Amino acid sequence: MKTRIIISIVFLGLGFILAAIPQNTTLKYKLTAEELLTEANNSVMFYSPDEVAQLLIQKDPNIRLIDVRTPDDYDKYALPNAINIPLSDLLSETYRDFLDQDVYQNILYSNGTTDAVKAWMILRQLGWENNFVLQGGLNYWAETILNPQAPPSTVASDEIARYDFRKGASQSLGGGSLESTEASVSSAAPKPMVKSTPKKKKAQGGC
Amino acid sequence: MGPLAPYEIISANTNMLLAFVIGIGFGFVLESSGFSSSRKLAGVFYGYDTVVLKVFFTGAITAASGLLFFSLFGWVDLAMVYVNPTYMHSAILGGVVMGLGFIMGGFCPGTSFCGASIGKIDAMVFIAGLFIGVFVFGEGYPMWEKLFMDGFQGYPKLSTVMGISDGVFTLLMIAAALGMFYVGEWAEKKFPQPEY
Repeated sequence: MKTRIIISIVFLGLGFILAAIPQNTTLKYKLTAEELLTEANNSVMFYSPDEVAQLLIQKDPNIRLIDVRTPDDYDKYALPNAINIPLSDLLSETYRDFLDQDVYQNILYSNGTTDAVKAWMILRQLGWENNFVLQGGLNYWAETILNPQAPPSTVASDEIARYDFRKGASQSLGGGSLESTEASVSSAAPKPMVKSTPKKKKAQGGC
Repeated sequence: MGPLAPYEIISANTNMLLAFVIGIGFGFVLESSGFSSSRKLAGVFYGYDTVVLKVFFTGAITAASGLLFFSLFGWVDLAMVYVNPTYMHSAILGGVVMGLGFIMGGFCPGTSFCGASIGKIDAMVFIAGLFIGVFVFGEGYPMWEKLFMDGFQGYPKLSTVMGISDGVFTLLMIAAALGMFYVGEWAEKKFPQPEY
């Protein structure tokens, strides 16, 4: 009888400890350091701007763009249909359903790649799938998709085809707004574009 | 099986093998605690033997406090623990059917196999009845599918529904279990049964 009372008191004591301590709500990292290093090293997280532009033009329903910059930056300029999840609020419960899911391919972007890759590393460590990074970020996006530089006419034809695609993408994804700001910086750039216009028409005919 | 299967640390086949070994262990413990006697289970309802209640609630409070402490130490991720979906209507109806079967048959599905394996005829009859029930349920499924799926409430935990933390809920459950143990012992003295 005595042991029963002792065991009962022990259980009650443990119960009081459990009731008093705060709940452990820490999100656990699921990947080992080696696994993450392998993924980061193989750059498996990157979507190139061309791939993203292609998906946007096709209105692929499976991709979702996530802007990890500050709300101010997001309000100034954002990619079409992107949602804003600032890096500092990444782990907020509000955004959990957006980031831990298996319906969409989330493509994270920031101005460069640093912030987006930071976000990707955390999400990947948590074991959440389907999060990717726009390679080069918005800067490289503006450079390649919104204001593509015409390649010299001597380069291989696939290079020219890529340029043509970027030209088209630029028009359909609203490159105009950025062009105006960039044009002043590199006023020489539009010149080669004009020069390559005939090639573009040729490629269009081919399609 | 623990975090091993969801993390794919062990394969599905290894998981089954482990389940087999644990199942044998479970059956052995049930048998050696006397659970293969139908009187032991029925005794809970008549008050002369409350071992079953004590064993199951001891198991529940041990597992609950163990899980919470493991989570506190970072050994177990509580988000990985499977929570049964709640279908309110079928839970109530199934509870009533199962409870009636308990009182009438004196076995639960697990202990009936224990009893059958040591040659108890009533346990074998109980298993036959169990399979008839499974067959009727399976074949007639379209008839009660609507009732079966009715009242879906997601995957709630009692603590979430009551709006308290898991720790406070565990403390309440420990207190309730100890209270039931006390009442159970009292009932055993109050309704004694000659040696069975």
